[in-house]
Formats: sequence, structure tokens, C-alpha cells
Amino acid sequence: MRVAVIGAGVIGLSTAQCIYERYHSAVSSLSIEVYADRFTPQTTSDGAAGLWQPYLYDNGNTLETKWNKETFDYLLGFLNSPDSIKMGIFLQSGYNLCSDPAPDPSFRDIVLGFRQLAKRELDLFPGYSHGWFNTALMIEGKSYLPWLMNWLKQRGVKFYQRKVSSFQELADSGVEVIINCTGVRSGELQPDPELKPGRGQIIKVSAPWLKHFILTHNFKKGVYNSPYIIPGSHHVTVGGVFQLGNWSEQNSTADHKKIWEEACSLEPSLKHARVMEDWSGLRPVRSRVRLEREMMQFGPASCEVSIKTGAKPLVHLSTSTSPSNAVWTQTLQLIYNYGLLFQVIHNYGHGGYGLTIHWGCALEAARLFGEIIEQKGQGDRSRL
Amino acid sequence: MTVTSSVQWRMGIQTRSSSFKGMSLTVTPPAHSPFSTQVPRSLLFVAPFWYCCPAMHRVKVAVVGAGVVGLSTAVVIAEALPHCSVTVLADRFTPNTTSDGAAGILFASQFPDVPVEQQRRWFKRTFDHLLLIASSPEAGVAGVFLSSGWQIFREVPPEKKPYWSDCVLSFGTMTDAELKRFPQYKFGQAFTTIKCECPSYLPWLQKRLEKAGGIMIHEKVTDLAELGLRYDVIVNCSGLGSRELLGDEDVHPVRGQVLRVHAPWLQHFVRVADGHTYIYPGAGGVTLGGTRQAADSQAIFERCRRLEPSLGSARPLGEWVGLRPGRRNPRVERGHVRVHGRRVPVVHNYGHGGWGITLSWGTALDALDLVRQCLNERPPEARL
Repeated sequence: MRVAVIGAGVIGLSTAQCIYERYHSAVSSLSIEVYADRFTPQTTSDGAAGLWQPYLYDNGNTLETKWNKETFDYLLGFLNSPDSIKMGIFLQSGYNLCSDPAPDPSFRDIVLGFRQLAKRELDLFPGYSHGWFNTALMIEGKSYLPWLMNWLKQRGVKFYQRKVSSFQELADSGVEVIINCTGVRSGELQPDPELKPGRGQIIKVSAPWLKHFILTHNFKKGVYNSPYIIPGSHHVTVGGVFQLGNWSEQNSTADHKKIWEEACSLEPSLKHARVMEDWSGLRPVRSRVRLEREMMQFGPASCEVSIKTGAKPLVHLSTSTSPSNAVWTQTLQLIYNYGLLFQVIHNYGHGGYGLTIHWGCALEAARLFGEIIEQKGQGDRSRL
Repeated sequence: MTVTSSVQWRMGIQTRSSSFKGMSLTVTPPAHSPFSTQVPRSLLFVAPFWYCCPAMHRVKVAVVGAGVVGLSTAVVIAEALPHCSVTVLADRFTPNTTSDGAAGILFASQFPDVPVEQQRRWFKRTFDHLLLIASSPEAGVAGVFLSSGWQIFREVPPEKKPYWSDCVLSFGTMTDAELKRFPQYKFGQAFTTIKCECPSYLPWLQKRLEKAGGIMIHEKVTDLAELGLRYDVIVNCSGLGSRELLGDEDVHPVRGQVLRVHAPWLQHFVRVADGHTYIYPGAGGVTLGGTRQAADSQAIFERCRRLEPSLGSARPLGEWVGLRPGRRNPRVERGHVRVHGRRVPVVHNYGHGGWGITLSWGTALDALDLVRQCLNERPPEARL
């Protein structure tokens, strides 16, 4: 059975890993291929600072909080392993600062040592009246992604550097399940008006005396639009901007100036830091993560299914019912079960918390994959 | 008694004014002679308090020792008593002092005989002084910055909080989740303190000393009486050297051996409560220690690695052995040395054991008070 993952950021690679782990022995001749136009260190995941931290509030989206927690616990389990540094995982503590009093964040019970900030600590950050201290994790894309690729390569997963133009293209070549992890550019494969770029720019500096993250939250300006400072294993990441709808991946001098001035106000010692370089990336912003499976979607007015095996069409059906019709769905299911259609599992739209949520999503994507396998029956269903 | 004095510069000439019990005296030297002044006879009786008289020769203060205690004491005196000329004499300067090898984490054990309130004052004053630097633009340059971490205990201790727990930035008990990382330890404290790295801090203090008019001389002092011929007040901060210099047999070397490794992902300190094993991440490397007697470096490394497995990925940078100026209690008190029948006052400030950096500023301030006392008791030497 051929499975193709499109996208080689943290979502694509970890989903490939999760599916392999759980199904390579259950499904004979499971072969996983990863297609992407960008690989590490050129992906969005590579530029992110790598701090595990969701947005402050999940607004009722408890599923995402569950996935965040699963990721945290999973990564925490690697801390004492010999691979932890190769994976880019280590603990880091720091400060979340709010300009106004705010309720405790959704992640208060997930992180370690969560507590309110004392007045003496708040005094260090003029302009912020409220905040929290906790110990969280760093998961650095520049280490984690190579580790994942290595893990996958060792198990026979193939990698292809090219841009996939459509799901159909892969299906035509014989792929039965596609995992769509194309992040901010998912719209090119299937239009999604909910998906938008949330442009970010960061400045990498050398300031090795900084040992805590400092994240500020200005509820008027919105998430990631006020300064943050995140020390890493190699450099300190200074941000932030969050520009919804801006597709530019070029560094902006104006943004650099704004970020730098605000960060130096927050942490005066940055004055003597050595600026290394800027980087811009596009967060794949969506109201919620799209994590679901889909059989090929057709237009509502007329549906045309071309059932092919090999190169010759076998059956040509034409109908005017929409795919939501129960009979139609059953028909499709029947056709699908004979290995003649393909499924897509979408796993994209993780905004600025892809690294934070990736494992929980990979587990869910693997679960959806399991449903597909189950519906196909036991073991391998060979093509007709 | 309060004497307030201010020094103002007007047209390049020092103006000194003092007030005592409501009397205010202002002296502006005549323009032709910046160092002479007319002193009314009626003011002679207040001369002991009026030590700002420019007619007296500048009081020559010698500070023996250029480690953290010596330099701190010299700076404190030079800044508070501008009529004194401060000279630091030492055989070793940074980076070759005992202080240079210390990790510099602000932390202290309790001395048996000094009142706890005094020890707490020493700690607090040093902490507050360093916290100002840590929150200033100079943090990176001075090597003074915040450091968070854990102290862990194999058994639950009777004293759950040290005397300085309210002096550091934050202090609390570790949660069960935090203790899980250290399975053989039953209790822990989590706190944020300061790291003060002397290879950066001592040069920073030296600059501050020079700015205040102090000078430094490379000279090994072997005879306080001889020094008393050249200086009016001696401040002895010779650390372990006091054993020989004064014949103080209470001073004994307490050997410390540390390894330095490159492990830039480590952001937290870990200290085992018995003081034999600690991991202190700094700006230029991580200090692993330690021992109070001769030990194999490999043994130190192994003990630390058991606490922090990621050290397996660390790269060694070097080793260092230092001798802490151990003493039952630090000696911060007045003495004197006889020079040709005269008594030259000596202020002692030595014997800080492994807590020199931690108590440096606080004991320096106490030494300053003692110097002031010495100066107040000097016979008036006003010239008319």
C-alpha cells in the first residue's frame, strides 16, 4: 500500500513517523513516500524558535489542548534519553507577561512549575502588571527535523524533492492514501478560505547570558504582535510580528526596527547582543487545525467518477446527487473498498503552534489512517 | 549620627558642604589654590566629623586583595568616600584569582556564629546590587544575569527554607512533576537567583574603581606593618592569603575542582544539597562540580551526567582547581597594626569560604562602615 505525505515540515515528518510506527507491521508492504518542495533547513518549522507554548486560551477547543498536552508529555519523555540533544529537546523556564490582569492560560496544568509572578519579578518588566512563570520545553526544528528524516530514512521511507501540483497527480501514480501536510500553501492543492498566512519576522542574536524566555501579551495588539525573546541552544530568537494575509517572505527593515526597539525595552541587555540575521516565515493560520479525512470531493451539481485501474478507465458513472447523500456515500465507500479511489488525510493550519501540537496531531492522523485500514478490511487489499 | 555631605564641582574646583545637627558648612576654596581653605577656629571641634576638609592630605586606603571581595570593598570605599584615595594591592588579578574559577551562583550556607540577621543582610545587599546590574543594559558585559534551577535533597530536610529564601527573586518547593526527573531525590527547592561570572564581573568592577579614582598595583603584600608606613588605613581582603599574612590559622584552604563543558542547551542549574554535585550553566559554558578533596574529573562528570543525561552530548572545555578561603565564619571586623608606636587601623574582610561572590557586596558595605569608624576616630589634623 502506497502512502504519500506531502510536506516535510514538522507536521509532515512526524505524521509519517507516527503512521509508520503504528502500521508498518499491521499493513504488509506499507510504503511511505514524502514529497516536498522544501526540506529542512528551509521549512517554516526550521525558522521557529521552538518553544513549546500554545496560544494563551483555547476558546473551548479542548481537542487542541489535548493534542498540545500529548505533545508535551511525549517530548518530556525524551528528556533523559541519549537522543534528546540530537532531537533538539531541552527544558526552558521563563516569563509570560500581560499588560493587564488575565485568566490563567490553557496550558497551566500541562507545563511544569506553573505559578503567578511575584511583584518583585514584575518590577523587572515595567509596563506589565501581571504574569506567570513556568518551565516548558524547547523543540528546535533545526535539530528535530533532521532527526525525523534520519529516523524515516533508516526505515526505508523515500523522499522526493518536488512540488506536487494536485492530489490527483499522486493518485494517478498509484498512491492510495495522501497525507496533506502542506501548511500555509495548502490552498494551492485545495482552496481553503479559512487558511491565511500569519507572517512573522524574527531576529537571531547572540546573547548567551539570557537563560529564560520572555513572552509578552498585549490583548489589544493580538498574539505574537508584541515582543518576545526566546533563548535557544545556538542563538536567541527575538520577535514578534504577526501580519495576517501578508505572503512576503522577505525581511522588512521596518519590522526589524520595531522588533528590536520593543525587545530592547523589554530586555535592556540586548543592547550588547550581537545581531546575527533576520528570518521571515509564514505561519499557517486557521481558526482551528484541519485534521480530518476526505474522500475525493466532487462538485454538488454533477458528480463524475472516473474509476481507473492502471491507465484504462473501467467504469464511468455520472450522477447529480451530492456526496453528502447517504446512498452516494455508501456507493463511494464500496468503490473505495475495492481500492479504486483514494483518501486524503488533511493535517494543516497549525498557526504559530505547529511544534507545540505536532505529536497530538500525528497521533490523530494515525488514528484516521487506522480507520481507513479498517474499512479496507484486514491486511492488504490489492488493486484490481 | 548622620552626616550628609555632598561634593559639587563648580568651575573645576571641588566644593564640599556638610551638615551636622542642622549646622551647615560650606567651603569653597579660593580659586588660586584648589587645595587650601580657611577653616574658622570655631569649627575645629566638629573636625572629626568633617573629614571632607581638603586641607588634610587625602586619606590613603590600601585594599589588599583583588578578588571579588577586595575589588567590591575597594569600589564601595572609593565611591562613598571620595576624599580617600583607594589603592588595591594584590599579587593576582583577574583572571587569575580564586573568584575567577567560581561558577558564581548566588547561594549560601549558614555560618555558625554570625547572627543570621547579619548574614541575611550580607546576602540581600549583594543580591539587590547584582539584580540592578542584571536588569540593566550591562548584564552581558558584567557577566551578571538571572539563573533559575533546582536544589535537590535525597531526604526531606528539617529546614525547608534557607535564611535567604526571601532574598532571591523567587523561591518555592518543587512539585512532584518536577521531582520526577530526579528519581532518587525526595525533596527539592525551585528558585531564581543570580549568576555572577567573575571573569567578566571583576574587569567591570575594576573599571568602576578607576572611574571612582582608585588605582591598582601588582604587589604581593607580606607585611602589614610595612604597608602601614605607606597607608593610613588598611583593608585586608586577602582571602586565603590571610593565613600567612596574619598568621590566622582559622583560615584553611577548601579545595574545589570543577569541569567546564560546552552544553548550550542547558538553561537551569541543578545542585545536590550536599554541595558535592552541581551543574551551573553560564554564558560561556557549563560548570560541573565539585569536590572538597582530590577527585577524578571523570567522577565529577559521571555524577553530573546521572542528574542530567544530556551531558553525554557535551563537549569538554577544561578543568580548574581553586582553593576557597575557608573559615568557620568570615572575619569582618576592625583590627590594627603597630607602626613605629602608632596604630594603623586595619579592617578585615576575609574568610568567606565558598560564598565570596554571594556575600561580596554586603560584606564590603560592612567593611565601609568599619572604615568610616576608623576615620572618625582619627585625631584631627586640620591645618589653618
